[in-house]
Amino acid sequence: MQVEVKLDPERKEIGIVVLAPAPSPEVEELVRRLEAEQLSPLRGWQGDTMTLLPQSQVVRCYAQDKRVYAAVDGGAVYLLPERLYELEEQLDRRKFVRISNGEIINLDKVTAVDLSLTGTIRMTLGEAGYAYVSRRYVKKIKETLQLERRRT
Amino acid sequence: MMKKETRDWLVLVLLGGVLGLLAGIIWMPYVVGSRECPPLAVLACVGLGAMAGLATQPFADSGRTLLLRSLGHFLLTAACFALLVTEGNLAQDARGVLFGEGLLLVLYLLIWLGRWTGWYLEVAQLRELLGLDPGPTPLKWRETLPYLPFVLVLCDLLPGALRGVERMVQADVPALSGLILPFLLLPVVSFCVGISLGRRQGVCPLFPIACFVCYLPMVYLLFNHTALFHCFMTAVPALAGNLLGALGRRSRYRNTL
Repeated sequence: MQVEVKLDPERKEIGIVVLAPAPSPEVEELVRRLEAEQLSPLRGWQGDTMTLLPQSQVVRCYAQDKRVYAAVDGGAVYLLPERLYELEEQLDRRKFVRISNGEIINLDKVTAVDLSLTGTIRMTLGEAGYAYVSRRYVKKIKETLQLERRRT
Repeated sequence: MMKKETRDWLVLVLLGGVLGLLAGIIWMPYVVGSRECPPLAVLACVGLGAMAGLATQPFADSGRTLLLRSLGHFLLTAACFALLVTEGNLAQDARGVLFGEGLLLVLYLLIWLGRWTGWYLEVAQLRELLGLDPGPTPLKWRETLPYLPFVLVLCDLLPGALRGVERMVQADVPALSGLILPFLLLPVVSFCVGISLGRRQGVCPLFPIACFVCYLPMVYLLFNHTALFHCFMTAVPALAGNLLGALGRRSRYRNTL
């Protein structure tokens, strides 16, 4: 792959154009990674230490005891300064979706979806455990997934 | 300020109650064969109307909320229905009332099954969109299928064989089919098989039903209606074992996470 940098003093922000002879999985993957790169990371706190959390590593954000936390790959949990509704604006809308009043999850991290006899929908998020979907949000989740599918 | 959801509920209850009242006033005189309406019967109609207005609400949520709401809705509906049947002389005796309540329960189960099928399709769609495995079959029928031979052996072959042995030796007392089968073999084996299925596949509601249904013909082929309790002696332990096995499976997964 050839990488070329063109400097244009009149440009206000960085733009990337991917040139390819035809659509391919490699091109799609590259575009996906570039798009993920441009999303701002979250600022997570553990005690006095602040860590920048890339969105691709965030498994879920949830409210507990009036505070908002983010669980990331590997199981670490960070305290976030934002509220859930603020995070909804900040997070990638194609990947992150609210599944209940107190939880936003990364759809890329879902490894299984189960249904109980009483209609409870449980999503398994790999090693990060389970998340329970509120019925009110099912429609929105489907819309997000359908939108993502159309784009890819 | 009242929530929109609560307001919607109240409107539905009120609307259902008014329709029930109209139905009671118009319909009850024909039923009781008098110009006067029994007030309790009309009250029951109002109650049933209100409950019909609320019919979709228990299914708006899930989990424990759904269970509690459904149970509350069923109990209130059953109470109104019993009052209507009694006051309107719709049943000859208590058995008739119980039969009506049984039909109501079947109706509830059918509605629940319909709703559950909707949820299942929704989850199947989510799995597909997420690119995940299709997941278990509806009510885990395919997962339960390998256990059907056990059920057939236990509930059909075994009673037949034991009955045959008793006839062969011309036993005076049918101890094998009358005591050992219903009080020892059926519960113990059903329970153990249920545990095995629960540990492997989780809750499989069709398993105890299969035990019940497979034993039912044997009741009339080998015994008579007094042996109907045999069906419960296999279905109830099968359900208990399955639930216990599923609980063990759940705690095992929780420990591995």
